[in-house]
Amino acid sequence: MATTEYRFEGLPLDPVRGGTSILVAGPAHGGTKELAYRMLAGDDAEGVIILTTNATAADIAAECETVGIEATPDRVGIVDCLDSDESGVPARVLTVSSAQDLTGIGMRYSTLYREFHQEGVEAVRTGLFSISTVLSLTELQTVSRFVHTLVGRVSKVDGLGVFLVDPAMHDERELRTISQFCDGRIDVREGPELRSQGFLGGAAEWVPFDPLPE
Amino acid sequence: MRVLCVDPDVDEGRATASAIGDADIDVTVCGTLGEAREALDGAVDGIVTEYDLPDGTGLELVEAARDVVPDVTCVLFTDADFDELETTALGPAVVEYVDKESPGARDELVDLLTFSIDNRSQTSYPLPPDEEARLAAIEQYVVDPDALDTSLDRLTTVAAALFDVDAATVGFVEAHRERFLACHGTDVDSLDREDTVCTYTILDDEVMVIPDTREDPRFDTNDSLAAADIRFYAGAPVQTDDGEAIGAFCLFDAEPRSFGTEDRELLSTLADEVMANLELRRRLRAATAEERDGDD
Repeated sequence: MATTEYRFEGLPLDPVRGGTSILVAGPAHGGTKELAYRMLAGDDAEGVIILTTNATAADIAAECETVGIEATPDRVGIVDCLDSDESGVPARVLTVSSAQDLTGIGMRYSTLYREFHQEGVEAVRTGLFSISTVLSLTELQTVSRFVHTLVGRVSKVDGLGVFLVDPAMHDERELRTISQFCDGRIDVREGPELRSQGFLGGAAEWVPFDPLPE
Repeated sequence: MRVLCVDPDVDEGRATASAIGDADIDVTVCGTLGEAREALDGAVDGIVTEYDLPDGTGLELVEAARDVVPDVTCVLFTDADFDELETTALGPAVVEYVDKESPGARDELVDLLTFSIDNRSQTSYPLPPDEEARLAAIEQYVVDPDALDTSLDRLTTVAAALFDVDAATVGFVEAHRERFLACHGTDVDSLDREDTVCTYTILDDEVMVIPDTREDPRFDTNDSLAAADIRFYAGAPVQTDDGEAIGAFCLFDAEPRSFGTEDRELLSTLADEVMANLELRRRLRAATAEERDGDD
């Protein structure tokens, strides 16, 4: 199989090979979410699947547009855990009645991925926004298993996984347990600045980034 | 590899089992939740199940299976619509899913099943960044475990007295298990890697302390710890000069307790002492080998 590579246009991050999952850790406000969205923006041939636990599909679609991801059914899939009204959302949306239904979320993710794959979309970027919400509702062991499953899927299909987490909401033990299952971690702080600590070609120092594309 | 294949439809179950069997996996076919529960044992690596079973649901089976084999791979292979699945109540089950009615469903199932089983041991516990180098270092240092016994045993005896704890051990974390070379106050030969706290200790440069295992979500359901009556744990990684953590020097106690900065430093010193001992032995082996080669 040809190796897929994921590039991060306009961000101070080197490309990664397919199958990589990255934890993006930073405050809820202050650029973290924007960075995670920008990391999902690839070229037009790529698909994007976003699992949202604390925002509606409509909000997600709007956020996508701001970072240049055109929300269309053949490009963007959303699993919405708020069971919101998805009519009028310009993306493929599957809903789950609760963010605690990790089984249901995982199944819908599999379905969206399979549909994209069958339609010839080879490269898919997956975002989980956010682990913090899931962790606030469900015990660590279950969340770990869920993250394992997602990371496994991403690895199997040569995808890209971007997992958002707010470190202030968790102790170091939870963070470490979750981050171990990802291939790397990017920290974000006010500025906004990011630090990828030798991962993704990033330096150990904090470097500024643009929360919105030029 | 052994997999339980559960489907109330006999023909469907056979077809699925045949596809799995073609991948060189032993399959036991069951038609009900009850039969599947009967067939469940510690040797099962995977479960492939329909959702709707005559006497329950596939997700109930998943829960039961995880009690027996915590990291068993579970795939829901069903033609049920999402609306028919009561996943909300069983959200914690977290399963893989393949739609039975999708084209090439059985190929996809087998592909996913083998991938998940193969990767299971790597995802059931966290690995340090360079696991391969770490395993290579163990081979290099832990060559003659029997010869190591006595000197390490003395150190664990000193440690148990020094910190006033029930037990002290020195263990090496191998690919799938931790092997204990020295034990004072306990007698354990080895533990599966997912069951030992040292799996986490070797992730860090620093001493890891769990004041109370029952208050830590990583370990509050760990039966091995409960069975061994372990409430307090402190472990210092045994690290090579290159920084590879090959094992841990650990303390255990039946009572929760705290462990201060000075204690941590002392425990680290003991771990360093183990490493110095191993390093000396390695050099001695190298020198002896050189001498022998010179004689030839």
